[in-house]
Amino acid sequence: MSDVYKVIHPNKYFNDYISLNVRPDGRKFDEQRSIKLNANAISNADASALIKCGNTTVVCGITLELATPKAEEPDHGFLVTNVELLPLCSSKFKPGPPSDYAQVISNTVNDIIKNSKCIDLKDLCIVSDKLAWVLYCDMVCLDNDGSIIDACITTLITSLKSLSLPAVSFDVETEEVKVDISNKTLLKVTGLPVATSFAIYQSPESNIVLTDPTTFEEEMCGGIGANLIVCWNQGLLCGVQKYGGGNIPTESQKNLLQVAKKRSKLVEEVIETCLS
Amino acid sequence: MVAEDFKDFKLKPMKCELNYLSKSDGSAILAQGETVVLASVNGPLDIKITSQSMEKATLEVLFSAKGGKPNVSDRFKESVIRQTCETAILGCLYPRTGITVTIQELEDFGGLLTCAVNCTCLALLNSGLSMKHVVAAVGCALDDSGNLVLEPTYDQIQSAAATMHFVFDSRAKTLVTGFTTGIFSEGAYDEALERCRAASDLVFDFYREVVATYCKVIG
Repeated sequence: MSDVYKVIHPNKYFNDYISLNVRPDGRKFDEQRSIKLNANAISNADASALIKCGNTTVVCGITLELATPKAEEPDHGFLVTNVELLPLCSSKFKPGPPSDYAQVISNTVNDIIKNSKCIDLKDLCIVSDKLAWVLYCDMVCLDNDGSIIDACITTLITSLKSLSLPAVSFDVETEEVKVDISNKTLLKVTGLPVATSFAIYQSPESNIVLTDPTTFEEEMCGGIGANLIVCWNQGLLCGVQKYGGGNIPTESQKNLLQVAKKRSKLVEEVIETCLS
Repeated sequence: MVAEDFKDFKLKPMKCELNYLSKSDGSAILAQGETVVLASVNGPLDIKITSQSMEKATLEVLFSAKGGKPNVSDRFKESVIRQTCETAILGCLYPRTGITVTIQELEDFGGLLTCAVNCTCLALLNSGLSMKHVVAAVGCALDDSGNLVLEPTYDQIQSAAATMHFVFDSRAKTLVTGFTTGIFSEGAYDEALERCRAASDLVFDFYREVVATYCKVIG
């Protein structure tokens, strides 16, 4: 019965739950979904990880390639991130070129990783101005049920942490490149950015903040995707984005950052356990 | 932290002209320092049935950069502006229609996106669409020694450790939109938020001035 109710009168359905201090999936307002993380999920990628956060499933694969560095930054390698939201993950996405929303997600994930400076691009350079690694990090969303940026960042960082680069020898005179696959070193990753999404629901009395929202909750809160994304990187903030939805009351601002901080510690533990 | 400590703030000089374009429903050109943006608003208009919404007006935002091809970061700017406007406009008064906002970058000497948000807000005021509140965007940068610089210049942004941009509403001064780059501590974030909140008053005062010059009744 309640399923029918959800379709014909979604706003009232959602409001009825919220007024009883519970979310449609039975969680409390500040409760997050359980995380399942699996490193090296794809055997033919150089590094990979799969995350399931509630129903949201994202798989990340990293492939390595060699290239010549850009002339203006001869000591820097490349880190290319891309998020794909295929029609598979939600009915909102159509085949063809990526939608505006997909581009925004991709851009946000890229910004967070760049801002956190967890990878020093200089580590990816092999010979200045001649040879550098390109890390193609492709994230594919299999099931989109909200808080997609959190899932993307977590799988990406897990993959990066499990990535090892083969030794490369470069002959300057003949420009011959030799890759020694048997001799691999782990890529240095400093810090561990963790993003936490929130949706802010405008109820008549006060604005209610929902941690780790599902797609339905995101829709009800009026934003396109999550309303607030807080990204912690080992005690420092590396991105606070707020778009649409209800406005944040000043007093709950501090509390939100703390909730995100707590979650970042938890996700850090999950990643460490997964990789050990 | 007391807001009064920040009363002596100065923002970059703002210059604005409304009704800059003759054919659009509302338009504004705004210069904040040397950054100049032109915005035009059309609506409520007829749109194709697939993008109509029964609940509220559909907002379309187009951002055109000064030169070159449109890229992914333009989509990000559009998304920021669209979501900001969506909270400000009373969209439920115009169901099944579309509102188009076009923003043209003319000069960028830092703070382009804050200028674009403010300019869009002025264009919306000029178009006469019903709004819940007006919005004011203020940006600041954190330099390497940890000092906050309000409305940074282009060079300051390039050398900054972090930049933060906030959009506030005019009623309760709550945070409508915010986005940041770089790494910063929680304390720096809180301080930046409070300073920008205090500085947003200057932007709201400027809006009032602009509207008063164009509408003799209020003045």
